[in-house]
Amino acid sequence: MATLELIDITKKFGAVTAVDGFHLKVEDGEFVTLLGPSGCGKSTILNMIAGLEDVTAGAIQINGKTVNALGPFERDVAMVFQNYALYPHMTVEENIGFSLRLRKRPKSEVQEKVQRVAEMLELEKLMQRLPRELSGGQQQRVAIGRAVIREPSIFLFDEPFSNLDAALRIKTRGEIKELHQRLGVTSVFVTHDQEEALSLSDRIAVLQAGRLEQYGSPEEVYLRPATKYVARFIGTPQMDFFSGEFIDKEGLRYKVGEAEIPVPTLTRLPEAAFDAGVRAEFVSLGQKGFDATVRLVQPVGPFTYVTVDWQGGSVTARVNGVSHLKPKEHIKVDIDPQGLLFFDRATSMRIDIL
Amino acid sequence: MISYKHQLSRFFVRMGLAIFTCVALGPVIWAVVTSLLPLTALTSRPPDLNPLNMTLENYGLVLDSSRGLFSGLINSFIIATFTSAVGLVIGSMAAYALARLNMPGSSLILMMILATQMFPGIVIAIPLFLVMSRMGIVDTHFALILVYLSFTLPIVIWILKAFFESVPMELERAAAVDGAQPLQTFQHIVLPISLPPLFATGVFVFIEAWNEFFFAIILTRINVKTAPIAIAEFSGQYQTLYGQMLASAVLASIPVVFLAIIFRRFILEGFVEGAIKA
Repeated sequence: MATLELIDITKKFGAVTAVDGFHLKVEDGEFVTLLGPSGCGKSTILNMIAGLEDVTAGAIQINGKTVNALGPFERDVAMVFQNYALYPHMTVEENIGFSLRLRKRPKSEVQEKVQRVAEMLELEKLMQRLPRELSGGQQQRVAIGRAVIREPSIFLFDEPFSNLDAALRIKTRGEIKELHQRLGVTSVFVTHDQEEALSLSDRIAVLQAGRLEQYGSPEEVYLRPATKYVARFIGTPQMDFFSGEFIDKEGLRYKVGEAEIPVPTLTRLPEAAFDAGVRAEFVSLGQKGFDATVRLVQPVGPFTYVTVDWQGGSVTARVNGVSHLKPKEHIKVDIDPQGLLFFDRATSMRIDIL
Repeated sequence: MISYKHQLSRFFVRMGLAIFTCVALGPVIWAVVTSLLPLTALTSRPPDLNPLNMTLENYGLVLDSSRGLFSGLINSFIIATFTSAVGLVIGSMAAYALARLNMPGSSLILMMILATQMFPGIVIAIPLFLVMSRMGIVDTHFALILVYLSFTLPIVIWILKAFFESVPMELERAAAVDGAQPLQTFQHIVLPISLPPLFATGVFVFIEAWNEFFFAIILTRINVKTAPIAIAEFSGQYQTLYGQMLASAVLASIPVVFLAIIFRRFILEGFVEGAIKA
């Protein structure tokens, strides 16, 4: 049980600044995901929390106590590595029990705890195997077991699913979430997969180039992204953006090419220039709206994503079930004004209601 | 269904391997056969290869303590063992440092280590002899160990450095998170998974030192004659005792063959496999 606070931490590798004044607070028992593309500094932050990497500036606090000078073990954190890092010469049993044996715990205690962890992760039948004799999913569970047995105050996960195939990834995702619900240990999870972040986290920290773009619940980052970057990064398919302008004509409207969309949320004409963004679920196709031509039809099972050419650009609509539209077909597209988000063209920041 | 073409190519590959095996094994078989025949059978024309004449007489003669082979084997063993042990201790530490520590100039150090390998032995033989005789260490085990270390260490460092680099960093990080101190990480993680390459490299150094002839003949006189020198001495000014010479050679090969078999098993183990999922 622990709280974790990163106070304006910076990490420099020579002249390169990997992490730049990063601030984050993780409450006790919270599951927080650091989300960003590769090279954004998220793994570096995790390594700094673990004590595997020094902090250039700033402080890391666990339970209000600065731990910058402490080694990995003294911080009482456990980490699951991207490539699992199982000890190749030790059996599953020895891998899981390694940390306890290092601390010279009595044999019976080690055995009992290893057994309990093995049962929890369904590893009982694999105890005498070496890591190389296990499948990717099994190796993954051993790596988790090695972290769980420590009963640490914080769990750190460094892209633990990136080596699993799609089906196993979703299954393991569920297992990790269940594990967190059961143990309630404060967890920090690193991934570049926005879907993983949305499905697992209590809060998501979206990073870009070593800086924090937004820190909020999955709903917040999805529905109210702070910046254009976050809006683009979160959600499948990607949010569509238009470069238009606000006009005042029978109420305020946003004009994209020839199309004018009423914006009831807007109360006065803003001065700066704004881009608009919309997610596929707020775009509909049918008899009413603006003229458009179908470009691409992508069925994904419960939905079909239909991309249409419209006003010199394109927009994707989410259609329930199967769509019988064909490319080059003419259709009308309608955008729900409630789904429109506006981003300052200069700063990329989203504005709420003016 | 194996195609005709595939079968044909397999046939040629096997033929090639069979020929290679014969070429490689031929001298060995000839040495064993010769060592079992009396000198008269070998010097008669044509040589009398009647298997009924085979005898272990040559082996008995060469193992006689007055002949120098026995002490040569012991000297070789001492020198080869020390060379590989010291080489592994120094070499593994150097290799680990070069692989893991971000030292400025480490690539320069590596190139310099490699550069020492570029001089042919003959170039340094005479200066080396002069230096060693002034130091008063000619004809000692120490002199040969020192020389052998100087040309096996660079290879040891390069091989082990490549291995240590292939050991995933995460293993050591995982151990650190699990609470291992650096020395414990080395003892419980790095050392066990490094045993196969360490052993393989050690065997390589042992064989190099065991077989070396050129520096051994320059830097030894009476006291520390090694096995290769002792074997060469069966070839005298007036006659060459082929049977005894080859019996000695067969005896001197036994430890090397034995080590090579173990060496092969260790190489095949492939310990690191399965450590990480790449």
